[in-house]
Amino acid sequence: MGVRTSAAVAVGRAVRVAARLRGGGSAIPGTVALRIAPRFLEDTIAAIPRGVVAVSGSNGKSTTTNMLAAILREHGLTVFTNPSGGNLPQGIASSVLSQVALNGRLDADIAILEVDEGYGPKLAKLLKPRTVLLLNIQIDQLNRYHEPDRVVRMLEQVAMTATTSLILNRDDNHLVDMDKRIPGSRDVAFFGASAELISGAVHGVASADRFGDAHAAAGTREAAVTVTALGDSSATLSIDGQQIDVRLPARGLHYALDAAGAAATARSVLGADFRAEKVTSALGGLTTVYGRGELLEVDGESIEIIMMKNPASLQLNLDSLETQPEQVFMAIDEGTPDPSWIYDIDLSSLSHVDVITGSKAWQFAVRLGYAGIPVGTVDLDVRAAVKQFLALPRPASGRKTMILNYEQMMGIRKILGFKELEGGGQA
Amino acid sequence: MTDLNILHLFPRTLGMNGENGNVDILVHRAEARGLSVNVKRYEDGDSLPAAVDLVFIGSGPVSAQLQTHPYLSVVAPPLRALAAHDVPFLAVGAGFQLLGETVTLADGTVLAGAGVYPVTTTVAGERVVGDFVVSSPVLGTLVGFENRGSYVDIRDAAPIGHVVYGRGNVAATGPGASAGAAAVAASGATAEGTVRVAPDDRVEGYWVGNLVGTHLHGPVLANNPALADWLLTAALARRGETLPAAPPSLAEIDRRASKARDTIAAAPLSE
Repeated sequence: MGVRTSAAVAVGRAVRVAARLRGGGSAIPGTVALRIAPRFLEDTIAAIPRGVVAVSGSNGKSTTTNMLAAILREHGLTVFTNPSGGNLPQGIASSVLSQVALNGRLDADIAILEVDEGYGPKLAKLLKPRTVLLLNIQIDQLNRYHEPDRVVRMLEQVAMTATTSLILNRDDNHLVDMDKRIPGSRDVAFFGASAELISGAVHGVASADRFGDAHAAAGTREAAVTVTALGDSSATLSIDGQQIDVRLPARGLHYALDAAGAAATARSVLGADFRAEKVTSALGGLTTVYGRGELLEVDGESIEIIMMKNPASLQLNLDSLETQPEQVFMAIDEGTPDPSWIYDIDLSSLSHVDVITGSKAWQFAVRLGYAGIPVGTVDLDVRAAVKQFLALPRPASGRKTMILNYEQMMGIRKILGFKELEGGGQA
Repeated sequence: MTDLNILHLFPRTLGMNGENGNVDILVHRAEARGLSVNVKRYEDGDSLPAAVDLVFIGSGPVSAQLQTHPYLSVVAPPLRALAAHDVPFLAVGAGFQLLGETVTLADGTVLAGAGVYPVTTTVAGERVVGDFVVSSPVLGTLVGFENRGSYVDIRDAAPIGHVVYGRGNVAATGPGASAGAAAVAASGATAEGTVRVAPDDRVEGYWVGNLVGTHLHGPVLANNPALADWLLTAALARRGETLPAAPPSLAEIDRRASKARDTIAAAPLSE
């Protein structure tokens, strides 16, 4: 490691301290470090003995990265990872800064990095992952990627950079045969759910449609890890014939598939050292990544947070609700620039919405009107809306429900008095 | 009174990003007034229904456009006949392009359109992504979301209205040009195929007789109920019928849509 790296670490860390004192600003230190030593990230990462696992896909990246890190830690490895949401180059550099020694060495056996689809091709070339785990391709952020096909091509490029193994979701229309569509050879393993669970899910797995070319049907590949049963915030995974039970962050087949993907990846990374029962103990001790099936305790009431990052995540989270929520709050702002997709969502698991806020509130109120779902109040002032919602009488179930986009989730956590940690770690 | 027959073209391939919501909205607004509605979802290989009062085609990615194109030649003659008989059409994005005369792709390939709309599309220039505000002389302010990487040439035909925010059919140049033009300028795009007009001349879509074509997404009818009612009125007028008055449930939706338009028009954003 050169002087430049040390300088980058020193300055980056100073900026990090300053940014934290100010509150937030998680990507800024990384941006500064990358400016001083442009190769800072790749040099540091390249020195990690067991290399990099890259995790990407439309939904579930943070949850799965969290699960995989826990499983590998349970097997005794020291894991470096980027906390939820910090999946752009600057965010990853910031995470490195928080753990790196001044000489540029990270104390880690392996790095598990969540990578943003958009930056995936660039980051993957930089990070040279040995293993790539791809979760799903769903309709996501069309304002950013314009069409799902572009995401497919970006993730193909990420998959191609895997030097050792590639882990794919066999129940995804585009991933089921991605190994055959890309050049080069590497070990390939699949994960998925039993046909009964897939057909039993109201809206399936929300995989983006695939048009044109003749291709293998989703579900037709042999899986190393299969979800065979689903419970209330739990699932059974079949791993090499062994049935194990795992705890999930919340109800839902999508969370079970995330767990299956994490287990299949751990199995590939660890080889003969992999112990299926350690998946159970690792996931049992996990706290949720916030905003993903998280329960917040506020003044003795629990608030369930449902994130609407994109159509698939909202639909799958709504499908996972056991009953129609008693009290519902929605907040959506320009973090979701084009909410057209709400017309593709089946909202029938909501009987009503009490309060809607955020700059897109009126657009949501129109949508709910057409869906025949009664709306209480619309108030663009987020603080006032939150206050009004909290003031509603205590629900019989003891649980209030908030449906939020990512930006509103961050803001409302703060309003509710939850501290935000750098890069999005657990408060 | 017979059913109102809506023909929904290629809902599966051209149904991305809430486009099918336009049909749900038309159905909702007709049924709320006591009309019965019949929707024919036309996919390749189906036969077209004998009675059609209103035609909708939505948007989708280029891959879906390519997927749909081979099936277009079968439906093109009957669609042109419907248009000639003043059946109202609403065509959005990729569907609007396919119902035009030609679509020239980025690699120079020319797709023959259905020839319902006398317009041509060229895939070129910078993609524009952002809020979209259009001022229509007939319907007032229309809002939506613009997300396109192509130019539409409507020649001397009438547009839906002037662009207040966003880009419109072609790019603008010069002082006063707003978001779309700024994006083009920032990218240094003097790419071949870039079509420019003076900022004040930016217009959106095509609206001649009962044919409406646009790149307003949102879906377009969501926050612009006046356009939905205009289409329903035109469909009924052909049969000598009128659109009944809106019940209170629709009035409440329309109040919210008006607030949504105000919110977007007051602070439009783009990438």
